Amino acid sequence: MNPTAKATRWALAGRVALRVVALALFGAIAGAVWGRAWAGVSLALALMLAYEWLQLARLLRWLRLRDINEAPDARGAWGDVVGLLLRLLRSRRRRKRQFLGLVRLLRRATAAVPDGIVMLTARREIAWFNRVAERMLQLNRRTDRGLRIDNLLRQPEFTAYLRGQQYQTPVTIRMSGEPEVFLSLQLVPFEDGELLMQVRDVTRATRLEVMRKDFVANASHELRSPLTVISGYLETMAGDTGIDPELQHPLQEMLRQAQRMNGIIADLLSLSRLEQHEGEIDGEPVDMSIMLQHLQRDVLARAVRPRQVEFRAESPAGLQGAPDLLYSAFRNLVDNAANYTPPEGSLTVRWWVDGEGGHLAVSDTGIGIAPEHLPRLTERFYRVDPGRSRATGGSGLGLAIVKHVMQKHGGDLAIESAEGKGSCFTCHFPPRRVTEIAVDRARAAL
Amino acid sequence: MDTADLTHHTSRRFNEDLEQLRSKVLAMGGLVEEQLRRALTALTEGDSTMGQLVAAGDQLVNRMELSIDEECSRILATRAPAAGDLRMVVATIKAITDLERIGDESEKVALIAARLAGLERPADRYRELRHLGRDVQELVHQALDAFARLDAVQALSVARSDRSVDEEYDAIQRQSITFMMEDPRTIRRALDVMAAARAMERIGDHAKNLCEYVIYMVHGRDVRHAPLDGIEQQLNSAGN
Repeated sequence: MNPTAKATRWALAGRVALRVVALALFGAIAGAVWGRAWAGVSLALALMLAYEWLQLARLLRWLRLRDINEAPDARGAWGDVVGLLLRLLRSRRRRKRQFLGLVRLLRRATAAVPDGIVMLTARREIAWFNRVAERMLQLNRRTDRGLRIDNLLRQPEFTAYLRGQQYQTPVTIRMSGEPEVFLSLQLVPFEDGELLMQVRDVTRATRLEVMRKDFVANASHELRSPLTVISGYLETMAGDTGIDPELQHPLQEMLRQAQRMNGIIADLLSLSRLEQHEGEIDGEPVDMSIMLQHLQRDVLARAVRPRQVEFRAESPAGLQGAPDLLYSAFRNLVDNAANYTPPEGSLTVRWWVDGEGGHLAVSDTGIGIAPEHLPRLTERFYRVDPGRSRATGGSGLGLAIVKHVMQKHGGDLAIESAEGKGSCFTCHFPPRRVTEIAVDRARAAL
Repeated sequence: MDTADLTHHTSRRFNEDLEQLRSKVLAMGGLVEEQLRRALTALTEGDSTMGQLVAAGDQLVNRMELSIDEECSRILATRAPAAGDLRMVVATIKAITDLERIGDESEKVALIAARLAGLERPADRYRELRHLGRDVQELVHQALDAFARLDAVQALSVARSDRSVDEEYDAIQRQSITFMMEDPRTIRRALDVMAAARAMERIGDHAKNLCEYVIYMVHGRDVRHAPLDGIEQQLNSAGN
């Protein structure tokens, strides 16, 4: 114990002792007048005790009342006690008011947010939600607190998202009922495993997207027939020897451009077909060694190609998928590599299987791609070098098609490239897509 | 002290098991809802590839039914649940059968849709079928919501609205018969439309069954094969 505290304690004890002694002395003197000093002392002390009890009783009554305005007005030490208690009560009341104000402010703020907000516990139970979320997710304020969110939002996309723990990107779900409503849900972890869920209505954006897809599909389809007529006539005219030789060159050029346009429209149509259907494609087992043979034949048939071409199927395993889609995707990659690699360069295509699934890599020693282009490479019509790629006759849709085909097979496309050194495009397929093919081949051989 | 702790611990684990079971059933329900939606889209959009997707989804539904069934047997064997917990497990075993049937009927609708996509489509794009499909979809959704919330009141009102689905089914049947009598060339299509409507009507019945299990879980009263109005009175008097 520190010495000052000890000193105050002694001083306190001294003061109390002094008061009691003084009171007892006063009683003794007053009693002595009647010749009964001890009775006087007893009376004085009893009176003092009664007074203190009275004060205590009043204090207790006040505390039970819980009314800050009814404070008893007490003297001495009791007055100090009442004063201190009053201060405590007032500051507590002030803090409570501040806190309530803050809660009210927060509640108003979350109500004003145009997005729905749901707070989830670590056990994925609904802890709280705002009115927007209540309306959008068809929740019920009365019954739904404490229920698990995936019991009410049962869309398979959402349950997979919730379980997958990959919350960087939002997930879009369709609500049941008419008219169709699409919601984008984004989970944000905070504290110890608790989650904040942000809900946005993306119906308009989703509808626009559908309209865009329909428009592209319809427009390409409509463009096709007039173009067929034009290129038909051009072909006839180009083959006609009676035509003025001065017109031969422009005719050839027109024919070439018409063919290019045909290619673009064909690519647009296959892209929109890929986009039309949701979900993955199941397909059939595809023999990858035969696939590679076909691709190799295509490359070798080209007029201009890298001198060194190598195709290696390092695994006998096959791939579960749609053969025509896979072929067009791989063909796009191989064509790109051949287009952008000088004749003295080399082109390698490898197929292998490991614990992470099946992989097909197309690598070349071509001109490569600058890093700033890599993220946008799979966008439609995105050109690294507009002059050059048009000269090669590409549609600008090849990599977009590859990306979509990979999505249809649950896989993804990885691109690595160093400018001036070459590029490597790798298609990664999940393990569930890798199948046994040897049996089929044995049967085919019989 | 030790034993008290132990029982507390096991009952908490048990509660978690039951919660997990309910979530699994509802996840299966979500999948079935998606199957039904896909089948109806296939029907109204004339999309033949959707059928494949639904067929693949049905295998998943079947696997889930097996796994939940096994889980129920495990809980019955190891925990020997009583009262409400027992009702919950029993209702679950029944509910997954109905859910699986809804999945099967959805697959049927998707197959019919693939077949109808090959035929000429009427101008109204099967308006009656679409309408019936939407109602049935809503019925299944509400039934599963009632299951999630253990809401017997909602369950009862859903069970009651199954009646309007039955009426719509009758209307489609009458209409199809009229078509067939007017023009025998439409018989093939009309038969398919009737089969699809029949499948949807069955889905409505299964949704109604789900609602009856909810009432059984909450009130411990088996309300199958009983008139719905009487049930409401019974439940009201039981609640008071």
